[in-house]
Amino acid sequence: MDPMFLAYSYFRRRKYQKCEEICSQLLEKNPYDQGAWSLKTRALTGQVYVDEVDVDEEGIAEMVMDDNAIATVARPGTSLRKPGTGQGMPSQGVRPMTNSGRPVSGFVRPGTQSGRPGTMEQAIKTPRTSHTARPVTSASGRYVRLGTASMLSSPDGPFINLARLNFSKYASRPNLAKALFEYIFHHENDVRNALELASQATEQCKFDDWWWKVQLAKCYYRLGMFREAEKQLKSAIKQQEMVDSFLYLGKVYVRLDQPLTAVEIYKQGLEKFPGETTLLTGIARIHEGLNELDDAVKFYKDVLHYDNMHVEAIACIATHHFYTDQPEIALKFYRQWRLLQMGVYNTELFNNLGLCCFYAQQYDMTLTCFERALSMADDQTLADVWFNIGHVALGIGDMNLAYQCFRMSLASNNDHADAYNNLGVLELRRGHIEEARAFFQAAFVLAPHMYEPHYNFAALADQLGDLQSSYNAVKRAVDAYDGHIDSKELLQQLKQHFSLL
Amino acid sequence: MNPKWLDAYHDPVASLYTFTQCLTLADIQADSDWKLIIADLGTGSYDMKLKVYKNTSLLSEHAIIDLPTGVVTFYMDTLEPRTPAIAVASGPYIYIYKNLRPYFKFTLPPLEVNQVEKELWEQAKNENINISVLRDTLEGLRNEGNPLTVRSMKFLQLESSDMEAFATLHKHSPLKRQTVITCLDTLKKSLADEDAISCLVVGTENKLIYILDPEAFTVLATMDLLSVPVFISVNGLFDVEYRLVVSCRNGCIYTLKRGSKEGSKHCIELNSQPVGMERINKTIYVGCMDETLQCYSSKGKKLWTVKLPASVTTMKAIDYTPRQLKALLVALSNCEVHMYKDKYLVDIIKTEGIVTGLQFGRFGREDGTLVMTTRGGGLFVKILKRSAKFEEKDALAGPPAAQNVKINMPKKTKLFVDQTMREKENAVSMHRTFQRDLYLLRLNTARQYVKALENSMNPISSDPTEPLKLSAQIQGIGPTFKLTVNLQNTSLSTPVYNIIITFHFDDKLYSFRNKYIEVPMLVPGLNYAFETFIDCLNDRGVSDNVKVFVLKDGKSVPIVTGVISMPVSEAAAVA
Repeated sequence: MDPMFLAYSYFRRRKYQKCEEICSQLLEKNPYDQGAWSLKTRALTGQVYVDEVDVDEEGIAEMVMDDNAIATVARPGTSLRKPGTGQGMPSQGVRPMTNSGRPVSGFVRPGTQSGRPGTMEQAIKTPRTSHTARPVTSASGRYVRLGTASMLSSPDGPFINLARLNFSKYASRPNLAKALFEYIFHHENDVRNALELASQATEQCKFDDWWWKVQLAKCYYRLGMFREAEKQLKSAIKQQEMVDSFLYLGKVYVRLDQPLTAVEIYKQGLEKFPGETTLLTGIARIHEGLNELDDAVKFYKDVLHYDNMHVEAIACIATHHFYTDQPEIALKFYRQWRLLQMGVYNTELFNNLGLCCFYAQQYDMTLTCFERALSMADDQTLADVWFNIGHVALGIGDMNLAYQCFRMSLASNNDHADAYNNLGVLELRRGHIEEARAFFQAAFVLAPHMYEPHYNFAALADQLGDLQSSYNAVKRAVDAYDGHIDSKELLQQLKQHFSLL
Repeated sequence: MNPKWLDAYHDPVASLYTFTQCLTLADIQADSDWKLIIADLGTGSYDMKLKVYKNTSLLSEHAIIDLPTGVVTFYMDTLEPRTPAIAVASGPYIYIYKNLRPYFKFTLPPLEVNQVEKELWEQAKNENINISVLRDTLEGLRNEGNPLTVRSMKFLQLESSDMEAFATLHKHSPLKRQTVITCLDTLKKSLADEDAISCLVVGTENKLIYILDPEAFTVLATMDLLSVPVFISVNGLFDVEYRLVVSCRNGCIYTLKRGSKEGSKHCIELNSQPVGMERINKTIYVGCMDETLQCYSSKGKKLWTVKLPASVTTMKAIDYTPRQLKALLVALSNCEVHMYKDKYLVDIIKTEGIVTGLQFGRFGREDGTLVMTTRGGGLFVKILKRSAKFEEKDALAGPPAAQNVKINMPKKTKLFVDQTMREKENAVSMHRTFQRDLYLLRLNTARQYVKALENSMNPISSDPTEPLKLSAQIQGIGPTFKLTVNLQNTSLSTPVYNIIITFHFDDKLYSFRNKYIEVPMLVPGLNYAFETFIDCLNDRGVSDNVKVFVLKDGKSVPIVTGVISMPVSEAAAVA
C-alpha cells in the first residue's frame, strides 16, 4: 500500500502517533516531500489539540492584576465580577455559595469553583492543590503542561526549528501555512511566532480570508490584547459567519467583563445558526455567572430541546431543581443522565442520586446509591460523599453515625470546611465547648465565604460571654450573607448591649 | 432632589472642622445682613480659627489659641447701633469680640490647688527634692483621686528624660489650677426682647455652672452639679425666673431653677449616653448613643422613644416663626438629616457626608436657612422653600408592607404525588430495605472509622490525652513553597508536651528546609503556627502528596496526620 495513503488513513482514524511515524520515514527518504511534511505537522498538532473556544481558567495574574475591566464599580447585573442579587435564586441559606458569592454550579468547569479572590494572599493560598490549582497566568497553566508533554515525546529535538523558519515564504503558500500555524500555535505554544505568521499570511491574501482573522484573534487573546482580538473577530464575522467566531467573540467579551454584550453576540449567532447548542450553552453560562438562575435554566432547557444528551444542561437543571425544593424532578434528570451514560458511572452521579432519593423520600434507594458512590470514589470526591452521608445521618437523627461520617470526610480531605462546621455543631451538642470552638475557627479560616461557621462561632462566643469575639465573628457572618436573620439579630443585640449605659 | 429645600451653597472642601456648638448665625454688623460665625477647630491641635462668613465668602478670620468649645452671640450693652458681641469659649477663657475685634478676655475663677501639690512644687523650686521624688509623690496624689493642676498632669505625661527640663522651665511661675469650659449658652437678663442684654451661662469641667454678668463680667450665680455638664439649654429671664436643662456625662439630665444651688432634685436618668439635647417649648428631646430619640416632659416624664436607623451625630431645634414651624433636626451617621415634628418623621435630607454641625436660622437676608458642616470638612447651605409643607403622618401604623407579599412556594409536582403514592403502597418494604441498608452502612462506616483511627489518618486526634487539631496550608507559586502547620490544643485545661512535627514526602520531588520541628508546650485554646519552606526539585509540572505527622516522643504511631496535595510548581512557566 502507498505509505502516504496509509498515513492519511491513520490520521483520519486519529492514530496520530502511527501517522507521524510513517510521515517521518517518508521525510527521511525525501526531505522536500511537502505532503508528508504537512501531514506530520497536522498529526503532531492533533495530539495536543484543545478546543480553543471552550472556557479556560483565568490565572492568578489575570485575576489580581486585571486592568481590562471597564467600570470598576459596575451596576449590579452587568458585571461578572459583581454578580447581582439575581432573580428567582434560592437564598444562600438554601443553596451554598462559592468563594465568589455565586451559587454552587451543577457542572464543574473552569472558573466555577472559586471566583475572584480579594487579595493576593487568598489567591495563592490552598486549595491550589494539583487538582484544583489555578495557574499563575493562563499563558502558562495548561498550555505549558501540554507543551512539556510533547517535548518528552520527541527526544531528538523539535520537528521544526522555528528560529530558522522563513515566515514570509510559508505565508505565501496557503496550503502549508494553515497547518504550520496550527502547529506553532498548539504544539509549540509559541504565540508570538504564530502571530507573525498569521499577520503575514493575512496580508498575503489581501485580508480576504476570515480564517486568518480568527487565528489572529486567537493570538491576540492569548497575549491579552482583547480589543485587537475583538476587532479581528468582528471583521471575520462580517466576511463569513461561523459558530466558532461567535463563540470566540463571546469569550473575548466575557474576558472584558461585558457579559451583556457577550449574550448579545451569542444571540446574533443564534439568529444565523438557530438551535446551535454551544451558543445556547454560552448564554446559559453567562446567566449563571450573573446569578440569574431562572434565565440560565431557561436556556439550558432550550439546549436540551435540541440536544437531549447534553450533560452540562442536565446537570445544571437538576441542581437548580434540587435546591428549589423539587428533589423529585432533580432525581428524574439524574436518572435520565444515568441512562444516557450507558454504564459509564461515576461517584458524583451516585452521590447526587442518593441525595435526591433521600430528600424525595425514596428511602429504599438512598443508601444503595451512596454505597456505590463510596465504592467508586477517589481521593477528591470521597470527602464529599462522606459529608453527604453525614447529612443523611443527621436527617435520621443518628448523631453518632453523623459524627463518624464527618470525621471520615475530614480524614480524606483535611480542608473540608463544611465538615468542620458540622462537627463543631455536633461537639457543641455533646457539650464539648472547646472542641466546638476550635472546629468553628478551623472552618471559617478555611472558608471565609461561608457564613455558617462565623455565625456558629459568634453564637458560642456570645454564650460564653466573649462579646468582642462574638461581635467580630457575627459581623463577618453578615458580610458573607447579609440576609441571615439570626446573624443580624445577634449583631443588633450586641450593638444594643455595647451602647447600654 | 429634595422638594422642600433649595440648595443655596455647596462646598464639599471648605476644610472646616467644627460642631453644632461652634456654629452660630447673627447680625453682628447691625446691617440686617446676617453672618455665619464658625469656630473652626483647625487640625484639632493647632490652627484654630474664628471665621465669619458674609453670605458665602469669608469676611474675617481670627486665630484662637486653644480649642473652642462653644460660640454664642449676645447683646452686652444698650448702645446704638445694636451690634451683638461674639463670645468664644476656649479652655478656661471666654474671648469676647465686638465689631469683629478682640474686646475682652474673661478668665474663670481659679480653683484651689491641693496643698500637698503646692508644697511639692515649692520644694522643687528651692531644689529640696529631686525630680523622681516629685514624680512619685505626684503620681501618688493622682492615684488617690486628687484633682491636679494642668502643670502636674503634663509633667506626669512626659518621658523621664524631658522631666528635668520641664520642671526647671515652669517651677518659678506660680501654680494655678484652672478648669475648662464644656458648654456655653446665653440667658436674657431682664427683658425678653430680641435685642435685650443677655447673660452668659457657662458649664465647666469641675461640675459647676456659672452665670456671668454681661457688663461687668462678674459671676452672678453659681450652681453645683453631680457630674460634668455637656449640653445646656436655657429659657426664661435671669431677673424674673429661668430654667436650665443640663445633660451630664453620667447620663442624667438635671433641671435647675432660679435660686437653686444644686441640681440633684429634678433628674432624668437615661439608659444610654446622650449625644444631643434640645428643648422645644416644654419638652426635652434627647438623642442617645443607642440610636434612639427620646422625649421627656419638663417634669421628667418620658413621653416617647423613636428608634433611629443609624447613630446620632448632632441635633438642632428649628424654631421658624414666620411659618410657625417648630421641629427637630437630627443628623445621623448614615449621611442623612431627619426632621422630626413631635414624634413624627416629616422629612429626610440626604447629604454628601456625615453632618457634624447644624444651624438653622436667618443667614444673609433669608429667614429659613439651614447650615450644615460635615465630617469631611464640607459646608452646605440650604434654604427652606416657601411652599414646603411638613405633614405629620404616622408611618408606623398598620401592618408592615412585607406582610402582603406572597411567598413564592414551588408547587408540588405530579411526580411528587406519584412518588408519594409509591411510598404509601410500599411503605413496609421500603422501610425494611432502608433499615437493612442502614445497618450495613453503620457497620461499614464504623469499620472505616476504626481503620482511619488506627492509621491516625485524621487531622483531629481521637486520643483524649493528646487533644490536637492540625491544619496545614501551602502558599506560593514555586519552586519554593511555604508550608504552614497550625496546631491547636482543643482541650479545656490539659497542656500538651513533647510533640514533634515531621513530614513524609518523595525526596526526588521535594526538599524540605526543615524536616523536623520541635513543638513547645501547647497551651489549650491557642493556635500555634509552624513554618517551613519546601523546594520543588522537578520542573516538569509533576506534583505529589505530602504528609504531615505530629508525633509524641517515644511513640511510633502519629497522633494526627495531615495530607497536603502539593500545587504544581510554575516557576518554569513564569520565567
